[in-house]
Amino acid sequence: MMKYLVPAAGLLFTLQNILWINAGVFIGSIFAAIPGLSVILCVILFLPVTYSMPAIPGMMFLLGIYCAGGYGGSVSAILINTPGTPHAAATMLDGHPLSQKGRTKAALKIALYASAFGGVFSALMLLFLGPQVARVAAQLGTPEYFMVCVFGLTIIAGVSGKSIVRGLLSACLGLFIACIGSDPMTSYDRFTFGNSRLYLGMDLAVCLIGLFALVEVLAKAEKSRGALRLDTAKMEDDGKITKEEYKRMARPVFLSSLIGVLVGIIPGTGASEASWFSYSQAKNMSKNPEEFGHGSVEGIAAAESANNAVTGATLIPLLTLGIPGDGTVAIMLSALMINGLNPGLSLFTTDGDIMYAIMLGLILVNLFMLLQGKFLTSLFAKVVSIPQEILTPIIVIFCMAGAYSVNQNYFDVGVALVFAVLAWFLRKLDLPAVPILLGMVLGSMTETNFRRALLISNGSPTIFFSSVFCWIFVALIVFAVAMILRGKWKEREKAKQ
Amino acid sequence: MGKLSNAIDERTDRIGERLKDKEIRIPINLTAGIVCFLFAVAVLLIMPQQVQVSEKDVVNGRAFPTLLMTVMILCSVLLVAKEVYKIIRKQPLEWKTIQILTEVKALVIFGILFFTYFLSKVTGLFLVGAIFCSLGFLVYFRCKKPVYYVITLILAVGIWAVFRFVLNVGF
Repeated sequence: MMKYLVPAAGLLFTLQNILWINAGVFIGSIFAAIPGLSVILCVILFLPVTYSMPAIPGMMFLLGIYCAGGYGGSVSAILINTPGTPHAAATMLDGHPLSQKGRTKAALKIALYASAFGGVFSALMLLFLGPQVARVAAQLGTPEYFMVCVFGLTIIAGVSGKSIVRGLLSACLGLFIACIGSDPMTSYDRFTFGNSRLYLGMDLAVCLIGLFALVEVLAKAEKSRGALRLDTAKMEDDGKITKEEYKRMARPVFLSSLIGVLVGIIPGTGASEASWFSYSQAKNMSKNPEEFGHGSVEGIAAAESANNAVTGATLIPLLTLGIPGDGTVAIMLSALMINGLNPGLSLFTTDGDIMYAIMLGLILVNLFMLLQGKFLTSLFAKVVSIPQEILTPIIVIFCMAGAYSVNQNYFDVGVALVFAVLAWFLRKLDLPAVPILLGMVLGSMTETNFRRALLISNGSPTIFFSSVFCWIFVALIVFAVAMILRGKWKEREKAKQ
Repeated sequence: MGKLSNAIDERTDRIGERLKDKEIRIPINLTAGIVCFLFAVAVLLIMPQQVQVSEKDVVNGRAFPTLLMTVMILCSVLLVAKEVYKIIRKQPLEWKTIQILTEVKALVIFGILFFTYFLSKVTGLFLVGAIFCSLGFLVYFRCKKPVYYVITLILAVGIWAVFRFVLNVGF
């Protein structure tokens, strides 16, 4: 590891990288602070910008958006009692009550410090655990890789929708969309309907603009006109946190960071699960549980450190196995692959300096997030109240310009519109969109490994049960499905009661 | 101008009032199952025309899409069977309410999106579409503040300029 760290530091500490990190952190904080905009939307919109950039600045920019998104959501949760991102919902429970007690700045400060701690902790875990997991991943062959893909898709399909069956339907749809274009093994065209533009397949960024960004614009139809105006809390306190409060926060921050890392490593789970789980753990372990829900500093610290501790952990399965931990990092995979960086052990050996630069960069991202949060929080607070009348057309223009810029043609803008309509219909059918994204990202890898494995075995499917690793993944899939079904059954029982 | 905009607002309010309580209820699992089943069958039917294969291949380009569509059919059948079982046992089905007013509003928004795309494509000038989009949404949101129009138009031109001159996108 040490042999890569020095050259990695040399690659990382350039003015260009520092500027891109700060640009990412700034944009990510603003997007996450505005209710209705999300981190995933922000990463999608700015993904085309990174296509012309080298790997390190491109990834630094996207990681800046991703990590700052974890903190930015807390700004609106504290100020207007509306979480900017879903994972800031737990922060809202204590953040807004503390703000109503006249301690808005203090609440924002606690959220910032806890987020930065969780982020740095998670980045360190990535730095130490990533190469170890990659070493195990190097022992996997094509059938095992296929099983890894099935495992990742099953978990994501299971946790992102109302039911595992619906999630699987969406995942199949995503995998099918990835089949459009040239066959990865024979180069014959598939499902192109004679349209030469489809030969290279659907561009991920273009499809995501429709699936996640433009559909949110269509979803404005579901909101009443009254929902366009929000009252922002005043920031009139000095933001002071007492020594005793720091002491009370120390334990929940550390434990929640650990929980965030453990939750983040599991594909499909994410910041929301981590923050709720950590919040309830902190409440159970607190000496003042009665304060939770009424402005507890421990509650804010636990939720925020957990949701930022997920950021580095989600990159562990992504960089080692190519399985994205959540939807946002799935998009980052394409930014890596466009630079010829394919997940696995080779990423940590042949491209070790670049990989370690990215992992070290994650620590830097969190430190810049802390700095920007310290000096720019009042600006982020103002952004919360940008009217939807201005915001909506700006998002649309960004989406269309982004879709056009990928291949510089209007065909892609049309494709984005088609995907927006598709996403709207899927919403009506209660089919989740995240498994589609994962299916599209993992499509080529899943199919290639599936077909290669069958070629090796002369068409016999027994190859998928031929090694210890295959059986481990089969057991993991069965266990995960059983846990998901148990969870859904419990939810249903609760709802009945 | 103000009178005209008020008259339009009143008219749209009246239409909104009429559509407010109109809704369609669909058995969501049954519908999702049938739609996905039909989609999977359609893909399997067009597969021979759309996917060329060589007879020498042990595992050809149709294998993976066929596997996907088979899984899709199985999942759809499972969804439908669950609902049929509920119907037989006279248990309540899961229903989803589709509000007509929301769908009409979504259609109007899609109209703005489509014309933004159409104008940009036909004129070859992205800026024309961007300006239409800004004005379209401000009118949709019934914005009466001139300052919002000015800010949005400046931002629209600014985004176009950044893509055109900084990122060298040729539109």
